[in-house]
Amino acid sequence: MIKENNCNKLIEEAKNLLKQGKVQRIIGFEKGSLRFTVTPLITSDTDAAERLVINPFIVNNLSNFLTGLKGKTAIVAKGCDSRSIVSLIQDNKVKREDVVILGIPCNGIIDLAKVEKLTGIDKDKIDNISLNGDKVLVSFNGGKKEFATTEVLFDNCLACDMPTPTEYDVLIGEAIKPKPPVSQDKLNELKEKLPAERWLYWQEQFSHCIRCYACRSVCPACFCTRCFAEENKPQWLSPTPHWQDNLLFQITRSIHLAGRCTDCGECERACPVNIPLRSLTKEMYDIVDDVFDYKAGTDKEDAPLMASYESEEAEDLFL
Amino acid sequence: MPNNNKDFLAEGNAYLPHIAVIEKIIEETPDTRTFHFNFKDEKLKKEFGFESGQFGEYSVFGVGEATFCISSSPTRKDHLEFAVKRVGKVTEALHRLPVGAEIGFRGPFGNSFPLEELKGKNLVFVAGGIGLAPLRSLIWNAIDNRKDYKNIDIIYGARSPQDLCFDYDLEAWQKDKSLNAVITIDREDKNWKGKVGFVPQVLEQAAPSAKDSVAIVCGPPVMIRFTFPVLDKLGFTPQQMITTLEKRMKCGIGKCGRCNIGDVYVCKDGPVFSYAQIKGFVSSEY
Amino acid sequence: MSIIKKIGKQDLGKLLEEWKQGFKVLAPSRESGAAAFTEWNGKDASFTDWYRNTVTPPKSILLPLVEKMFSYTKNEEGYKLETPPPDEKKQLVFGIRPCDAKAFNLLDMTFKDDYQDPYYLNRRQNIILVGLSCKDPYACCFCTSLGSSPSDSSGMDIMLTDIKDGFLVESVSKIGEELMQNTKSLLEATDDDKAEAENNRQAAIQKISRKIDVKGISEKLRQCFDDESFWQDIAAKCVSCGICTLLCPTCYCFDINDEVTAEGGARYRSPDSCSFSVYTKMPVENPRSEKWKRVRNRVCHKYQVYPTLFNEIACTGCGRCIRLCPVNWDITQTLESLPSSEVKDAK
Repeated sequence: MIKENNCNKLIEEAKNLLKQGKVQRIIGFEKGSLRFTVTPLITSDTDAAERLVINPFIVNNLSNFLTGLKGKTAIVAKGCDSRSIVSLIQDNKVKREDVVILGIPCNGIIDLAKVEKLTGIDKDKIDNISLNGDKVLVSFNGGKKEFATTEVLFDNCLACDMPTPTEYDVLIGEAIKPKPPVSQDKLNELKEKLPAERWLYWQEQFSHCIRCYACRSVCPACFCTRCFAEENKPQWLSPTPHWQDNLLFQITRSIHLAGRCTDCGECERACPVNIPLRSLTKEMYDIVDDVFDYKAGTDKEDAPLMASYESEEAEDLFL
Repeated sequence: MPNNNKDFLAEGNAYLPHIAVIEKIIEETPDTRTFHFNFKDEKLKKEFGFESGQFGEYSVFGVGEATFCISSSPTRKDHLEFAVKRVGKVTEALHRLPVGAEIGFRGPFGNSFPLEELKGKNLVFVAGGIGLAPLRSLIWNAIDNRKDYKNIDIIYGARSPQDLCFDYDLEAWQKDKSLNAVITIDREDKNWKGKVGFVPQVLEQAAPSAKDSVAIVCGPPVMIRFTFPVLDKLGFTPQQMITTLEKRMKCGIGKCGRCNIGDVYVCKDGPVFSYAQIKGFVSSEY
Repeated sequence: MSIIKKIGKQDLGKLLEEWKQGFKVLAPSRESGAAAFTEWNGKDASFTDWYRNTVTPPKSILLPLVEKMFSYTKNEEGYKLETPPPDEKKQLVFGIRPCDAKAFNLLDMTFKDDYQDPYYLNRRQNIILVGLSCKDPYACCFCTSLGSSPSDSSGMDIMLTDIKDGFLVESVSKIGEELMQNTKSLLEATDDDKAEAENNRQAAIQKISRKIDVKGISEKLRQCFDDESFWQDIAAKCVSCGICTLLCPTCYCFDINDEVTAEGGARYRSPDSCSFSVYTKMPVENPRSEKWKRVRNRVCHKYQVYPTLFNEIACTGCGRCIRLCPVNWDITQTLESLPSSEVKDAK
């Protein structure tokens, strides 16, 4: 779990960078307007930097805000976020020298939806959530309940094997040794279904999709100025949210992200109608790992995966 | 003034197009065509009416709908016209249609040029490129009611001789002694013996009098933005400058939300606005 | 004179079953993954145990995700268009909250204004709203700041209020009265029941913790409209997804698209969002290509444009935009931080 005591170090770093004019702005987290929520803080004001926080809820992948920014930016990045930054550098969307990465070693972020499910209480009625070693203590209704971190962390945090940022300028906290990833029941369950069953499952799931494109908007790897879904010459899919077009959008998006997706989980978290999007994106992530022995964002000198080709590569992917 | 004409709604449903047939196609420039059309339904064909400045939503079924003003004059009702510049999916589909093809038409929507206020005045038409299309309806309307207006000046320009639209109109207007038409192109061209210069500059040179005059302007946004200051210099007040605005539209009837500029819907409160109204918009995003 | 009855919690299923005989009953359910109004399954009415408000607002009953406007076929004689037959079945929306019911009135202002929207209106006239006043507002709710409240019955035909072991049932409109007169499952309400309901309603109002002052907001927005640095700051963390607009009970912008099918084709209407960068895109230019202009437009449309056109703020304080925004962009914070004209003059 992210330790909260490193917050002062972070604030000091951020303020110094701003005061010395080394960066035009800082991007980090501040307390949100709802309980146990954080919100991105994007500011050039040293006083505002006092509001930076580090806590077990800093879920957003802030690298999403980097594309298109001018000048230099200091950015708070957890393990997965730093990999997204590296991926953006590989894609030439961000220059390494334009970012000062304030790396946050992270053992996982608490998924409030899981806490709500386990306690049966909505988050605005929970009094407190605190850490107690590797246990999470939730107080509500005058009582307390304890959970193992594996019960309340986001699924992608449980699958994470790179908790320490792969690229950083300053490390806020101690580097963390990767833990063995916890098995993904939801994904495995889905893989056990027959293709025909899976198709019906996805048909049902995507009949709820409202095409808010939040999955795309929160994803740092989705940086196209004109998304294929908005193209009309040719019209790849209908803007009308028929389940077929919704599913096609998501499958195509997952494929477009091959070699870029760092499994930050933002797409699934952002989805307002709770479609299990990671079941598609993580599958893509695993395929990329299996076939190319590649995980996005580990080395900024790498060429983008889908833009590189070695003649010795296996060709069984080609039909 | 807003238009509340609901006489021509198919089955009372403003979203349902009427079927119309293309009767003639004129290639104005390499990327602009004028279509002459008529409604398939005989009764509608006879009864249909509109006012200069109004627009329609034209469908190529299966491809989509696009907004174009009705460029023919309401005084010449044997057919209707609209002009299309090929810039996207629907316009490309329109350009591929042959004579005899069926399209959809919803309308007439929007407000119109304030004819009553223009009567007895000098009219100064300033247009560029395909911007002449909405003005053309009013110009022929005025010519067909010539005694209602005093002087008529037309200043029209395009990038090059090939980009001039409505050649047949330009020829007729230049021959018409009851009005004064100046045609210009932006830059020197060996095939052009006429005036050379940007429309706002030519307007300034022509220096039409602002007294009892109204200027009606339409063209590319950059041309309009340079034309207003020239008119101001010539003594035209913002009330004496009229234009027609273009925004992305879908429904055309003020429901889908898209074409708003602050609290003004271009499809319902416009597309015809005076510069005085535009200056009063809460939003500067016109 | 309104009719006041009651129904016990254990009999709620019976009541819904009775109404199901004459209506398609829609009630909150969590089966689709996120709370939404779906056709009541006819089995259990235990949703009142967990139900506070849905994710997808009930406006989708009037403005569905996929609305076929017409279909067309083509033969040698040309095109033939066919509008889908209007849905004759009457719908009863059970459990709608005051914020969402009031939103229906706000939507009516646009869709009943000037050109009549037959698709919307057909459904609207066939809907009965049986509301449920809130006993447990969310932290994000701010309805009381917008002239509504957890027990505001505007827009409803019948309103239920939680009482011990059941609900007080009161008619609000003539249609609601008629329905209640013909409903057998309802029981007599005692004076104690009525008093308890009123107490509960007052208690719920006290629970609203989020408040903003919207006095003069329309004018304030008009004045700071061109303050680019303010809006740039406000919009910085927005990611331009469509969640706030698509899940807002009063937002109604839509898109129209044609599709080709085996038989010919069809034209569909679907919800759209002014937050998307392509919303106002034209071949020549895009007046709102910049994010801060879109954020500004959204706030102004709700709090300045709608009041100018219809004398009502197009927001009922349901708070969905706040609790579902992936970056916790909060409209109440924006409205509270509008630069005031005095500050501007001082500069």
